[in-house]
Amino acid sequence: MNQSVVVFIKRLFLFMALLIVADNIIGYGLETIYFGQKKGQFAQTTFSIDNTTQDILIFGSSRAVRHYSPNVLSKALNMSCYNVGRDAQSLPYYAAMQEAIFTRYKPKMIIVDVNNWELAPGEAKYEKLSILLPYYRHHPELAPYLKQSGQWEGIKLLSRTYPYNSSLFILAYNFLFANKLIADEHGFAPLTGKMTSAMLDDYASRLKLNSQASAESDKIIDRKALNYYRQFLANTNTHNIKTYVVISPKVLKEPLDARNKLLKKIAQEYPNVKFIDFSDDKDYNMMYGKFADVFHLNNEGAEEFTRDLIPFLN
Amino acid sequence: MPQFCLEQESFFAFKINYLLTSDYYIFGTVYTFCMLFNSIDFAFYFIIVTVAYFLLPHRYRWILLLSASCYFYMAFVPIYILILGFTIVIDYFAGIYIEKAEGKKRKMLLICSLIANIGVLVVFKYYNFLNESLGYMLNNAGYQNPVPYLSILLPIGLSFHTFQAMSYTIEVYRGNQKAEQHFGIYSLYVMFYPQLVAGPIERPQNILSQMHAKHEFDYNRVVSGLQLMLWGFFKKLVVADRLSIYVNSIYGHPELHNGSSVAIASLFFAIQIYCDFSGYSDIAIGCARIMGYDLMINFRRPYFSKSISEFWSRWHISLSTWFRDYLYIPLGGNRVPKYRVYLNLMIVFLVSGIWHGANYTFILWGALHGFYLLCGLQFNKLRSGFTHRLHISSRVNNLLSIVLTIILVTFAWIFFRATSIKDAFTLVTNLKTIGQVPFLGDGISNMAHCVLAIALLFMVEYKMEYLSDRFNLLTHKIIWVRWSFLVISVFVILLFGVFSGGQFIYFQF
Repeated sequence: MNQSVVVFIKRLFLFMALLIVADNIIGYGLETIYFGQKKGQFAQTTFSIDNTTQDILIFGSSRAVRHYSPNVLSKALNMSCYNVGRDAQSLPYYAAMQEAIFTRYKPKMIIVDVNNWELAPGEAKYEKLSILLPYYRHHPELAPYLKQSGQWEGIKLLSRTYPYNSSLFILAYNFLFANKLIADEHGFAPLTGKMTSAMLDDYASRLKLNSQASAESDKIIDRKALNYYRQFLANTNTHNIKTYVVISPKVLKEPLDARNKLLKKIAQEYPNVKFIDFSDDKDYNMMYGKFADVFHLNNEGAEEFTRDLIPFLN
Repeated sequence: MPQFCLEQESFFAFKINYLLTSDYYIFGTVYTFCMLFNSIDFAFYFIIVTVAYFLLPHRYRWILLLSASCYFYMAFVPIYILILGFTIVIDYFAGIYIEKAEGKKRKMLLICSLIANIGVLVVFKYYNFLNESLGYMLNNAGYQNPVPYLSILLPIGLSFHTFQAMSYTIEVYRGNQKAEQHFGIYSLYVMFYPQLVAGPIERPQNILSQMHAKHEFDYNRVVSGLQLMLWGFFKKLVVADRLSIYVNSIYGHPELHNGSSVAIASLFFAIQIYCDFSGYSDIAIGCARIMGYDLMINFRRPYFSKSISEFWSRWHISLSTWFRDYLYIPLGGNRVPKYRVYLNLMIVFLVSGIWHGANYTFILWGALHGFYLLCGLQFNKLRSGFTHRLHISSRVNNLLSIVLTIILVTFAWIFFRATSIKDAFTLVTNLKTIGQVPFLGDGISNMAHCVLAIALLFMVEYKMEYLSDRFNLLTHKIIWVRWSFLVISVFVILLFGVFSGGQFIYFQF
């Protein structure tokens, strides 16, 4: 064999060995930092998957995290409560979290916050499941969800560093400034600040334009997401868990609501599920003072909404 | 209750997925093979093909490369291999007969070959666009368009391999290239997998002779090829695909975003498309280099250009030189009156716009660049006189020229990236509100990733442009310095890259 081929193969093996060693060292370090966190969204997700025992669990996206106060619910219903929502997530994530949590225990009540855009076509909601990659090693039940982002995900996960891809900045910040992080209240992380009327006007004009542009595409449904929604509700039905599908308040009623109607129709197919729609509620529509931004209630709005929700849960 | 269309994804995403994938049944499991350079599938393919290439005797290597290239192409839409086969057969025989023929017959043969190639382009790429335009005109005149639409998908990389095939027959006609007698080698010239779907658009003089030559395993070439591939992966995964997250969120809903967001997204897109395309070219050139082939350089850090004309001498070089050699010079080039030079330039840029896609957005993008270039030519003297009179130092002048070029190019990219002319103008109109608080997309973390990616890219490109003889860590005499740099590069990609397998933008052309 050519001498340079031998040299190349030797060096290639050596280089690969170096990469494997480095991967394990870096991966171990990141894993230690990740699972050692006590505050922040990573810690909240870890707690949700590994430690929740509460009677009520709240699932959803950032709107769930910012809108539902477990303390208010606990006091009113005399049941413990935890908010397992996560920013920028969608139906596949709720289903994955439900699956991981149900392997340990079943809550008595579930509230799931949904939105029309969760049924909109798009791969982003599946790609964002990658935030669950750090749990892959200890939660094999998450594997089918993680493979949504590609059939070779199992091979990528041979790397110990890969699960922490794209989370280094948050990880570093949470590690370095752990003392400055504000602890959530059982997963609830309300926003402060108030929207202004100018922000509302601006949003109204953009929403109008967007609705005109999306009138046709509003009828296109992401079948996979819809299946996750059905699966989520069917699981609660199997275990006879009281479930509330809620559309929490919006600063403006969205002109396109075809997907909301579909969410409602499917929820009504399950006897244990009740559908509650606050999207058109006059106490919140146009009440920009109760919102921190165009998508989220502020802390006062969230407390008020949680109190308004209680009569529906009793 | 409205009638729902249960679709997994939007039509565009569906179309792209259909274009890029093929299903295979292996040991009871269906695997979808998607032969993108940034996929695990390609990693397996590349290793197998390269190892087999060096294990095989020279006389069988063309068979391996041709079969591998066919497989590579068929991993997208298998049936479209027939289109490639059609143009290959036409141009192979055209080359042989053109070489033998003389006078008018020679010209006729060339024209036949060009019509066949352009015909394929027109049918598969422009038919529906032309038909739609005709329909629009007829509708305005009160008539219905009787011509039916074709429901066909655009074959991947069609414009690239068609242009490469055309350059062969033109060069044979001009007598600069001997007609290739070996059908397999000629097929490989058109189909060579590293540059099949997104270039560089090679010339026969450069690549055909290499396809006959015997390539021994060369340690230095292999290592430098792998390093170039790594750099390409960095550009694609860490920069292009990261920036695309923000760009897509703004350009997907142009009416929802203010001027600051549009400006940031447009600048990001300028960097995204550069890293996406030049990343692809780097991987392609690296792949070929490992096997002993030298493909032409396609990009030379275009955002360091001090004028639009310099930009075009650094951006997509294989296409701009193609247009120069086969369109601009035949039209008369610079050896005609000034107004004709301007007209020729405008024609070249309009054709370049159309080459990119069947949409008025691309035509407008090409026209804008043509306009920039003409303005540059017209006001060049005025500008140098102005800087001279104001005593602006050459360093400041260069910096201002680079910034101005980036602004002009970025503005033009708005038309390139927008999905319609209407969207493009909405985005341009929204620029009025530049200065408002921008949308942060997926949060501050993603924005921090974007900034880091751009900073790393800038550092490396700046070093390559201005400090080429310094900080050469990849060629450092101490092996551990080289290896440490490589290991760090791998982990930068692993930790900051986007691995969701986004397709390359230029595949659609």
